[in-house]
Amino acid sequence: MTVPIPVVQLLQVLTVLIAAPGVSGVIARVEARVQGRRGPRVLQPYYDLGKLFHKEALAPHGATWVFLAAPLGAMACYLTVPLLIPVLTTYPLPLGYLGDILGGGFVLGLASFVVAVAATETGSPYAQLGASRAKTFGAITEPVVLFVVFTVALITGTDLPYALAATVRSSAEQIVRPAHLLAAAALFLVILYETGRIPVETHTGTNEFGMIEEARPFEHSGPYFAMLRWGSAMKQLILFTILLNVFIAPWGLAATATIGAVGIAIGALLGKAVLLGVVIALIDNSFAKLRLFKITEFVAAAFLLAVLAVFTLYFGGG
Amino acid sequence: MNPAVSPPGIYAGIANGLAVLLLLTEFAMLRAALLRAQVRLYAAQSLLVSILAVVVAATRHLPELYVLAGLSLALKVIVVPWLVSRMLRRTTTEIAGSGALGVASEVLVAVAVAAFGFFATSRFHISSPALPTTALGLGVAVILVAFVLMVVRRDVVSQAIGFFSLENGVSLVSLVVAAGMPLILEVAFLFDLLVAVVVFGVLMQVHHARSESLSTTHLTRLRG
Repeated sequence: MTVPIPVVQLLQVLTVLIAAPGVSGVIARVEARVQGRRGPRVLQPYYDLGKLFHKEALAPHGATWVFLAAPLGAMACYLTVPLLIPVLTTYPLPLGYLGDILGGGFVLGLASFVVAVAATETGSPYAQLGASRAKTFGAITEPVVLFVVFTVALITGTDLPYALAATVRSSAEQIVRPAHLLAAAALFLVILYETGRIPVETHTGTNEFGMIEEARPFEHSGPYFAMLRWGSAMKQLILFTILLNVFIAPWGLAATATIGAVGIAIGALLGKAVLLGVVIALIDNSFAKLRLFKITEFVAAAFLLAVLAVFTLYFGGG
Repeated sequence: MNPAVSPPGIYAGIANGLAVLLLLTEFAMLRAALLRAQVRLYAAQSLLVSILAVVVAATRHLPELYVLAGLSLALKVIVVPWLVSRMLRRTTTEIAGSGALGVASEVLVAVAVAAFGFFATSRFHISSPALPTTALGLGVAVILVAFVLMVVRRDVVSQAIGFFSLENGVSLVSLVVAAGMPLILEVAFLFDLLVAVVVFGVLMQVHHARSESLSTTHLTRLRG
């Protein structure tokens, strides 16, 4: 029995929307286990969101409509990106050509921008500090992402995520070529930065000077805060999906629209995301957080990998 | 015409991947903060050269490369790092922050220099039966980044390791352009390296005994 194509498209969005807090919950649990703690329930993020949706929403004195619109805007952006990337299927869905990798990157950038604008609306020093830092370091990770996109463009001749996933699946030659491995490694480092993980940022801290991403929603409360939390969990799952389904493991995706294939694809995606989450939790526990001014060194390493990927492609088909 | 760059094949992909790792260890030396880390990076890089030699020997049927790989494993992965760390056993100073620039700027400078190496070698149009040409560009990039390492790090150990790793870059280049080079020449190179180790070892020990540090900035006092 086949699922209608628009429903598959909708399922891509719903999978990301519904599963994202769960993936965060699994990572938090694994992290706690590795540290020798019992850790929160896997479903804890859902309970947190439920609790926050029942709370009252407050805005700082003098904040305008921008402050309250930002969580909705960010959420809308995170709901758009799963339409553009291969979440469940190997074949492009009707809206899949709405944007290429750069388009997806722009939408993610827009989400981060509206949250930063809302943070500057608050007048709170912590939120503003976080927003300003996020934009500063975002500006230096941008070239890394661009070079990764160039690599994809040189490898496939297009900049569509579906095309790269198909290329990687096509043969073993495509997997061992250094350009592909370097670009995937660079993207992984960018994801560590974007999801606010060690060595860039402590994920679970409450109030400290090294905060970047986590400091931005300090002044939001109630349902608005819940949406920002949910949004950042979705962003994490979206970035995981791009790394897994486009770069390092584009297997297990549905090649047809049958219920079984789509179901397997959902399970495979979540399994892969949890595995990647375990790897990230292990990294979280084995490295120390970098000093704020050393983050440039981390980004320089990612930039080096991405530039070398383009070099090897440019000079002799790496 | 399909604008995509076609993949180089599995053998070439693995060989290029190993050569890229060689270049990455060279970049890692730019930021190594501990003596021990610097020596370990050198040992790892030499190990990669040996593995690459074994890969070439196995796929291109050049049995003398096995001998070379064994010799370079014994000398560069075991003896030289052991000698260097033995000589530095009594030093209490570290080499962190000996760079003339910040780490990020050093990496950017080295990327520019490595790009020059790539551009220059791609103009030669050298093709080799043993390894893909990309490995040649990577080998030249390793040599140039080793020069950058020796220029920007102001401590004796990084400069010595930079010189030794330059020899690793030369080994990589010789694997590409002259994989069938007579073994006696390769062995002569390796013993050249041993002479360099002795010279640098004496330099490190004398310098450390005189100035109680590994930094070469003290050497400016010798100016008359």
